[in-house]
Amino acid sequence: MLWKDKYRLGVDVIDAQHKELFMRVDKFLRALRDSTSWEEKVSRVNETLDFMNGYVVEHFRDEEEYQQKIGYPGYKMHKKIHDDMVHYVVKVTTEYKEKGYDEQLMQQFGGRLLAWLINHVAAEDQRISAYARSKGVKSGE
Amino acid sequence: MLDLTEFSDSPVEIGSFGSDLDICIGITGDLEGEVIYHFPSETSLNIVKILSGMEFDSIDEFVTSAISEIANIISGNVLTELSKEETNCDLLPPEVKKAEEKDYEIRRACCIVTSVGNVCFDIRLNRAK
Repeated sequence: MLWKDKYRLGVDVIDAQHKELFMRVDKFLRALRDSTSWEEKVSRVNETLDFMNGYVVEHFRDEEEYQQKIGYPGYKMHKKIHDDMVHYVVKVTTEYKEKGYDEQLMQQFGGRLLAWLINHVAAEDQRISAYARSKGVKSGE
Repeated sequence: MLDLTEFSDSPVEIGSFGSDLDICIGITGDLEGEVIYHFPSETSLNIVKILSGMEFDSIDEFVTSAISEIANIISGNVLTELSKEETNCDLLPPEVKKAEEKDYEIRRACCIVTSVGNVCFDIRLNRAK
């Protein structure tokens, strides 16, 4: 289980999306790390990769809308972090498909994604909730 | 992120690292050079296990990439603190490589002892001219 309660921000809508995102990333990583041969698992890896990638873009957009709604001062910098990650995901996914589903590339992507996502939610996103709390924004808003 | 509550640091002789994974992060700007992170296998595997909830038994592409990103994150945080002291630098992408032996104005080495294993740092920097 990738998700831990300590990653909660206390913002209901963001926490719900983070849980969903972690669930999709977890499915992708478990498919990637499955002990069966690459030939046997590649279609499941691809399916979970697409399932995850779609939600990453959707979640980033919703989180940025929330930041703008509460007037979060770190919005521009945070958006750039999101944009850079989306750019990386698109670049890797494109290269992966062009190279005929290269396993090594996908293992590298999985490792980086794992570390990046957990640090992003545990560190960067916590700043959003700290700001929201300082402004008295209720968790359901 | 890793919830490391018990750790200590200790000096170490430069060049005495016996690690299994060396991650080099290039630094440019007001300081130029590199920081080499030396991760023993045990430390790398423990870190990735904590993050993923899965067992890993060897340093493969996945583990190397995750640890490279950890080194990148740590370096980014250090540079953020340096910028508050008006020392502005940028990072280059992490590389898995042994550093070349060159002379540097600033040369420091230390190890951090944590509950998941040791990590050593070899800091090699010149002040920009």
